[in-house]
Amino acid sequence: MANEKDTATIKTAVERKKKVAYTPVVPDMQLGFIHNNVDCIGCRACEIACKDKNGLPAGPRFRRVQYIEGGTYPEVYAYKVNVSCNHCAEPACLPTCPTGAIWKRKDNGIVDIDSTLCIGCRRCEAACPYGAPQFIPELNIVGKCNLCVDEIEAGRKPYCVMACMMRTLDIGPIDKLREGKWETKALGPNDKPVRAVKNFANPELTKPSIVFVVHDKGKV
Amino acid sequence: MTDKTATPDRDIDLDLASRLNLSRRGFLKTTAVGAMAVGAGGLLKTEEAQAFAYEPYPRDDDLQTVVTSCAHNCGSRHALIAHKKGDVIVRISTDDGRYQKDGFFGKDTEEEPQLRGCLRGRSYRQRLYSAERLLYPMMRVGERGEGKFKRVSWDEALNFIAMKMLAIKNTYGPTALVDQSYAGASYGVLHKSDQIEGLLGRFLGMFGCRTSSWSVPSYQGTTTSSRWTFGTIEDGNEDDAFAHSKLIIMWGWNPAYTFHGGNTFYYMRLAKQRGCKFVLVDPQYTDSAAVYDAWWIPIRPNTDAAMMAGMAHHIFTNNLHDQAFIDKFCQGMDAGTMPDWAKDTPNGKENFKDYILGTYDGTPKTPEWAAAICGVSAGDIVKLADMYAKTKPAALKASWAPGRNAFGEQYNRMAAALQAMTGNIGVLGGCAEGVGKAWHPEAVAYPYDEWANIWFASIKSDRWAHIVLNYPNVKREEVGLWPRNDQLDGVIPNIKGIFWQGSNWFNQLTNINKEIEAVKKLELVVCMDSTITPSGLYADVLLPVATHFERHDVALPWYKGHYYIHRPKVIEPMGESRTDFQIFTELAYRIGELDPQGYGMFGKIYNPKADRGYFLNPDAVDEAYLAEWWNTKVMPHHHIDMPWEEFKGYGIYKFLLKEPHVGFRAQIEQGVPFQTPSGKIEILVNELAWIQDWKKTKYGEHVPSIPKWIEPWESLNSPKTKEYPFHLVSPHPRWRTHSIFNNCAWLRETYEQECTLNASDAKKLGIKTGDTVELWNERGKVVVPAYVTERCMPGVLVLHEGSWLDLDENGVDRSGNPDFLTLDAPSPAGAFAYNTVLCNIAKSDLEHRPGWDRLATARSHVFRREHRREL
Repeated sequence: MANEKDTATIKTAVERKKKVAYTPVVPDMQLGFIHNNVDCIGCRACEIACKDKNGLPAGPRFRRVQYIEGGTYPEVYAYKVNVSCNHCAEPACLPTCPTGAIWKRKDNGIVDIDSTLCIGCRRCEAACPYGAPQFIPELNIVGKCNLCVDEIEAGRKPYCVMACMMRTLDIGPIDKLREGKWETKALGPNDKPVRAVKNFANPELTKPSIVFVVHDKGKV
Repeated sequence: MTDKTATPDRDIDLDLASRLNLSRRGFLKTTAVGAMAVGAGGLLKTEEAQAFAYEPYPRDDDLQTVVTSCAHNCGSRHALIAHKKGDVIVRISTDDGRYQKDGFFGKDTEEEPQLRGCLRGRSYRQRLYSAERLLYPMMRVGERGEGKFKRVSWDEALNFIAMKMLAIKNTYGPTALVDQSYAGASYGVLHKSDQIEGLLGRFLGMFGCRTSSWSVPSYQGTTTSSRWTFGTIEDGNEDDAFAHSKLIIMWGWNPAYTFHGGNTFYYMRLAKQRGCKFVLVDPQYTDSAAVYDAWWIPIRPNTDAAMMAGMAHHIFTNNLHDQAFIDKFCQGMDAGTMPDWAKDTPNGKENFKDYILGTYDGTPKTPEWAAAICGVSAGDIVKLADMYAKTKPAALKASWAPGRNAFGEQYNRMAAALQAMTGNIGVLGGCAEGVGKAWHPEAVAYPYDEWANIWFASIKSDRWAHIVLNYPNVKREEVGLWPRNDQLDGVIPNIKGIFWQGSNWFNQLTNINKEIEAVKKLELVVCMDSTITPSGLYADVLLPVATHFERHDVALPWYKGHYYIHRPKVIEPMGESRTDFQIFTELAYRIGELDPQGYGMFGKIYNPKADRGYFLNPDAVDEAYLAEWWNTKVMPHHHIDMPWEEFKGYGIYKFLLKEPHVGFRAQIEQGVPFQTPSGKIEILVNELAWIQDWKKTKYGEHVPSIPKWIEPWESLNSPKTKEYPFHLVSPHPRWRTHSIFNNCAWLRETYEQECTLNASDAKKLGIKTGDTVELWNERGKVVVPAYVTERCMPGVLVLHEGSWLDLDENGVDRSGNPDFLTLDAPSPAGAFAYNTVLCNIAKSDLEHRPGWDRLATARSHVFRREHRREL
């Protein structure tokens, strides 16, 4: 479908984009993720559920469970950091898009890509500090997590969250998640959510909508 | 309620190519022609970007919802919800609380948790619509194993098999066909593949020509131990019981990989939140250890029984054992619990405590003695023994993997002795597992009658190749012949043919090179499966079997969990595939036609509810079997009143138990006798005590009547380490179920087949993560990438089982299947010695291939680990 694009529409989009200064969208309510780095078994059911939901071939991974391990035998440790798109308050990807295909939804803050406008230039991929935009060679476009907005609109939660066998991944209004005031099984009775984990980009850069329960060794 | 009817919609007649295209865009291009309803708004171009990422896009609520489950043999069973358009499954989700009585979205309580599918279950569309799918019957045209086949009609394939079966039986007698049915992808109550309850066993048994394979590759050491000690393999707790432990010792157990029950891993998370402490005894620091913040005790493989003996010594000598429990429930734990008759037996004069104290052999099994064998310090052995004896209740979960060893059964028996001496059996939060089967479902919906599981010889499952290669110069004790009471007792089977049903055993049994030699000598090899497999490559006839999405059945919890999941026919069978039950029924009719005198009634008796039309349309007959099973077995057994039709409407039936099910609670609380001959926990086993002639038993050689440490035939303590300094273990992978799903690219990119080794070992050998290495011993050679880590014990290599063998011209396996290195010598009790392997490792220039597809890649390392620089 990528090669069936309407060139005229894209040209118009580019012109418009050049003319209009970018003003960040302030959503009515910003949705975000919570992930418990410690209790996650790293099974990647969320990744596979995401690939199935989004019909992805092998290659692009909208959700990525990263394995972190360290220490010296036999004193070792391991934990997981599970990230897709953080639907940032100030997304780095959005202003880089030459056609304006990337947009942020006003109602829930979801950052989405209009696949009819994406030309596969991959600038967003380079701009994102989290590796969220994923190039899909078969379609010559970039795709990424849209928080299963169809499921959100149907009153349900995204596929990755509903796939989590350990109930360590969840979504909610990011304000409440940050304050630890959102009821979620991702949070254990003694857990405190934080905004960043070791080796994660400084959250002040793009203000990502995600919180973590971090391992002792993952604290920043 | 969502619409869960599974009426095939033939309006949208998709060709196979578009079905195989998993890209949604490709799929929509095709279906758009068929006037599919899509949201029109998405197709209109507007000024600013606002289209959804995948417009036009079928939302879940636009699709038809069908509740079903996964179906492979992994130790759990979860709900899968198929979302389909016409006859194509567009995507799969899982239980979200809606598909049960009084269910609603998000319902997920401790009593009725959601049955969420794992990564393997979620990838089913890749298996269902894979390029490896078998769609038509095929017959071999090249040499056996060459992998050349031609498409044939069902007539040709089935007539060939029927004639061949009769010829083989008439020429070689009733043991010439080996049943290698296993629980591959056929596990249900009706369409069953199984060594005992399976459809193949009943078919070959009725035919009168069947050698069965009695040992279970996964857990025979454990099975035998549990039967000896407790008289049953239902020695388990339900998964929710694990939420109530104060201490859980994961002995070789990695539920983060194997899942083991519907929600075991999740209940353990709850236990952690409630203050439970965890210990892992394992050569690897597994993800389970990380999640549960466990104290990791690295142990040399195959030395577990020695460490446990050291723990028992500490518990006995410090009086930490529960003497009242021992006196009331155990036989042979100490001198006081020895039965009077034992002194008159040939093999049963010793008791366990005196063995541990060294009364008989002058060697007390002290923690220091154990430390020298197992590589765990005496201090740590004492500390763990202390923790286990003093924390109440404590669960020692003795997993199956350390039992997949030379004398693996002794490890499981030793664990049972520890569980008993600390009184942790039959109490909530304790654990008597073993095998660990718990809640008992009704498992069989097809006729399970006097014709079921008839066999004329039964062998240890990994000895078939040994028999074929050495016949007739084979002794019964070499192959573990099961004793019989007739003239066939002790008769070595003259094996001439193999049936694989839901089984890829050729790839999964030990010492594959020996199997390759043996399979060449056979006269008939039949493989029934949904995809081509390595076993299938060596077959004469490939029969395409409909997957569980394409036939009607009900799923059981495999191992733990208390529920049934309805599995309607979600889509029509692909290609010309048929169910196993259809194939066996039709074969029985054809054999009856060829030999009306001998087999005139075969088809009718094999499948009494069906006639010959079953091969064309099985729906009404399958429905009749399942409805009868529900009405006459499930409803009375479980005292439930939900009618079959209502169950089908919901999709899932979850049982609410009054209290968590704990193995042997009735024995301990109400004094119900154990199912052993003595009614006690048999630390001293009656059966073993009386045996005089070991060669005539299925064990073949002497087994001590009490748990003892026995030196394995090879380990890090043996002289053979001079030549082969590494001990290889081959655990179950998370990204496959044994060999199933090895062809799925989604899963291959999440993990890769790789050899894990310790960082200091790697440094000495100049190996870095990502380097290609070869592993070899006298039995074979395999090639894989290396993964260098601090999380593995020095001297130990880890290579997960189940990769699809892929030989180069020199017989080197490029896929990295560890069973080219394993030995086909089973333990006396039947335990496969998968983890008793010494080998060597070096950097290699040989080729590794992660999949059969030449372009297959494993790119898990891209998102993988934060490596320390010096690695």
